[in-house]
Amino acid sequence: MTPEVVFDWAIQTAVAFVATIAFAIIFHTPREQYVCAGLVGAFSWLIYIIYVYFTGDVVFASFFAALGLTYLARVFSFARKAPLPVFLIAGIFPVVPGAGIYYTGYHIFMNNNVEAMSKGVETIKIAIAIALGIGIVVSLPRFFFTLRRKGSTT
Amino acid sequence: MTEERSESAAGLSFKMGEALLRNGAEIFRVQETMERVARAYDIEEYDVYVLSNAIFANAVENGEKIDTKLKFVPGSTVHFGRIVGINQLSREIVAGKVSVEEAYARLHEIVSIPYTHPIRLDLACAVGSACFSYLFGGTVFDAAAAFICGFVLQVFLNAIDSRTASKFIINLASSAVVAVCAVLLFTVGLGDSLDKIIIGSIIRLVPGVALTTSIRDFLNGDYLSGTIRIIDAFLVGGCIAIGVGAVVMTYISLTGGAPLL
Repeated sequence: MTPEVVFDWAIQTAVAFVATIAFAIIFHTPREQYVCAGLVGAFSWLIYIIYVYFTGDVVFASFFAALGLTYLARVFSFARKAPLPVFLIAGIFPVVPGAGIYYTGYHIFMNNNVEAMSKGVETIKIAIAIALGIGIVVSLPRFFFTLRRKGSTT
Repeated sequence: MTEERSESAAGLSFKMGEALLRNGAEIFRVQETMERVARAYDIEEYDVYVLSNAIFANAVENGEKIDTKLKFVPGSTVHFGRIVGINQLSREIVAGKVSVEEAYARLHEIVSIPYTHPIRLDLACAVGSACFSYLFGGTVFDAAAAFICGFVLQVFLNAIDSRTASKFIINLASSAVVAVCAVLLFTVGLGDSLDKIIIGSIIRLVPGVALTTSIRDFLNGDYLSGTIRIIDAFLVGGCIAIGVGAVVMTYISLTGGAPLL
């Protein structure tokens, strides 16, 4: 873990922040939630790249990124009294396997059947990992997310 | 009061559910909101079944049976501003602060919250494309090319009327537009890797969130909604791959270059 690597992480996180806000605008998110949505996206990408750097496994990286980002999204959702998907969908955008779907189709079209198969299976595994990560955090009781706001009602 | 059906509480709950689904809320949120509103206005019997592209609901209000079936186009535009508004409204209804007439007026206001200005959408798509091109391992020059491609893509998407053209034709055409744009920029000399430019700019179209949502539907036990969404995601993904693939294939055979991936 050299300083260059850490610097690269910082840059990538900042880029993911901007990217998430850009997609929050495309999804017509209310303006006052832009920064929080961006933070969720940046956080998920940071978890993802750090995990990939140490283990090289993208499926579990996506799983832990989904856990972290859903936690943060729920905290924001309670704190800012906005529905969860406002933060979740924008924040999930960086880790979601959109590129995987495209590469799978592209390889099928280009007759690279072996690569198409491996990309396709990886895409499905990532999608399941993210869905499980979200599902676990969403089913936690709400006091995990409102610890510092005791007595507040949503 | 029952003779004026559009003023009934059951009708209000249907309308809120419809608006939520149209603007991209999740299945269980639609269902929960509709049931909560119905309970808040003391509707006796209320059953609702929500799919990713339809709502089936019926209610008994003041002894009169109201049957409603609503159908939708799947994958309509996501508008979080409206979802937030309806969410807020349903909370106030549950708290007993809003009468049915007021709620109708509020709902009408929420549903007419405008879409973001097209120019801002163009810029957002351009910035998003550039960022993703960089995140997927592209250089700064790739990101610059993806910026232009993303801008062109959103201009194209704004220009076509999504109600007349089929969704698959739209995806096919717009991914081809992106690929042509990327190939042109690449030939001129902007960008180091055609692949990174294209993947960055195509991320706006690719159904990654839809695929993840479909798996979530499966985990929630909404098998039908999950199936609809996953088929949708694969078809859209296939269309994009064909749109890009056709252009790239032509480019390769014209220039005689090596495959790019």
